[in-house]
Amino acid sequence: MVRIQAVKGLTAIPIRVEPRDSAATTGTIGGGVTAILIEIAAQLDRLADDGEPGAIDLRSLPMSSDDREQLLDALGPGEVTITLQGDGESTICETGVHGVWWSEFRDRGGALIAAFVEIARVPTILPVEPDELRRGAQSLRTGVGGAAPPRGS
Amino acid sequence: MADDRSEPTIGEILQTHGVSRRTFIKYCTAMASVLALPPLAGRAMAEQLLAAPRPSVIYLSFQECTGCLESLTRSFSPTIESLIFDIISLDYDDTLMAAAGAQAEAARDKAMKDNYGKYIVIVDGSVPTSDGGIYSCAAGRSAVDILSEAAKGAAAIVCVGTCSSFGGIPFADPNPTGAQPVSALITDKPIINVSGCPPIPEVIAGTLLQYVSTGTVPELDEHRRPKVFFGNTIHDRCYRRSFYDEGKFAKSFDDEGARNGWCLFELGCKGPTTYNACATIKWNGGTSFPIESGHGCLGCSEPGFWDKGSFYSPLSAPRWGKAGEASPRQVLEVAGAAVVAGAALGVASAGLSRRRQRQKEKLNADDETEEG
Repeated sequence: MVRIQAVKGLTAIPIRVEPRDSAATTGTIGGGVTAILIEIAAQLDRLADDGEPGAIDLRSLPMSSDDREQLLDALGPGEVTITLQGDGESTICETGVHGVWWSEFRDRGGALIAAFVEIARVPTILPVEPDELRRGAQSLRTGVGGAAPPRGS
Repeated sequence: MADDRSEPTIGEILQTHGVSRRTFIKYCTAMASVLALPPLAGRAMAEQLLAAPRPSVIYLSFQECTGCLESLTRSFSPTIESLIFDIISLDYDDTLMAAAGAQAEAARDKAMKDNYGKYIVIVDGSVPTSDGGIYSCAAGRSAVDILSEAAKGAAAIVCVGTCSSFGGIPFADPNPTGAQPVSALITDKPIINVSGCPPIPEVIAGTLLQYVSTGTVPELDEHRRPKVFFGNTIHDRCYRRSFYDEGKFAKSFDDEGARNGWCLFELGCKGPTTYNACATIKWNGGTSFPIESGHGCLGCSEPGFWDKGSFYSPLSAPRWGKAGEASPRQVLEVAGAAVVAGAALGVASAGLSRRRQRQKEKLNADDETEEG
């Protein structure tokens, strides 16, 4: 006969940590994540061959938080992290796979409004447009107040 | 270079407001995600919007509760309405505008005259037609008259909310004011219905952004709703769907099934017949939606939702079914065959629900007999 001991206080209840079912602990990757990795590889080929950037919207895919972590684990950490300060703080991190960027856009309240993997040499939101360069130059010239004549004038 | 354009582009307006290109692309990327477009389409959308003229918008409020406008302007994130108000020129909205009386009416007249054929009319609320339309008047004119005049020069009409789309609550039986949806009165203009009581703010913003960026009416369903938002039922995208498939149902709001998060079908959830994006875009900045908060869907984005019996009767009740646009009243009696069939295929609960419905009807009949 099994004798059951009465539990004396909350401290008598042992804490058991559920193992996280991720690639790091199981060594396996879910089918959905594998499909995304194959798609990323195909987009990297396209970028290398044709120079065409691509992206995969993570919010439109039926992914659990574990799936997302598995994907992040599989891509690994990279060496570049970019912070965008514009109506909220957004981050773009290069993963361990060069040319694969993990982007999370947030609004002023910190809410996630877009999350996607971008496959590009440089994230497409970053490069400055020619008009912006001209406006910048104009603003600098206005700022110096005619202390030096504009170049080319 | 001389520029003879009289109207500034959206890009010029944003620059004036200090919105950077990157910030604008950021929000267009987010909106592309909402519209189920590829993320990089956000950049293309941003470029199209930056070069587009800022459209004049006339917002007409008739028989409504202002919940739809509240949904848009008091959304969880302050960025949605600021984005939308940066890309449109809201020239008339009697709720939001500072002007009142003759000044407000003059602003609307001027906007219609200056932008004839190009402006967008947003309608919030149904239009009463009984007794000469006296049940909704402004500046001595009936809603029918104001709508007819505004529609003449409109490029398109966007009906925000179930009232303007399908009649909504004012249209509910016995409809004492003769309330009608816009589509029953205006037949010669493109009409986009953004239904919901209220609609999801991202759906309102996304529909307007898509129209302004492309200049074309998006693909619509049979009720003139944008398919991108109304292409799936709540049930199809519900995170509790697997419990429906397994036949696990909450039987009351406080039983074990409810605590376990099981399907709310038997508690009257109208998700299987309701087309909307609540289960994916969700509410309050993506926090949750009614089913996630433990209550069934009311079906508020569907025609005649107020007249389909109790919100707590299971869907197998025979009054639920497919609704028609031109005459929403007629469709309430059409049987929801597809829904019942789907339920029967998925689980045995449909039969159970029908039995429950019959029991309820019998109980009601008995009560009436006793009262009589």
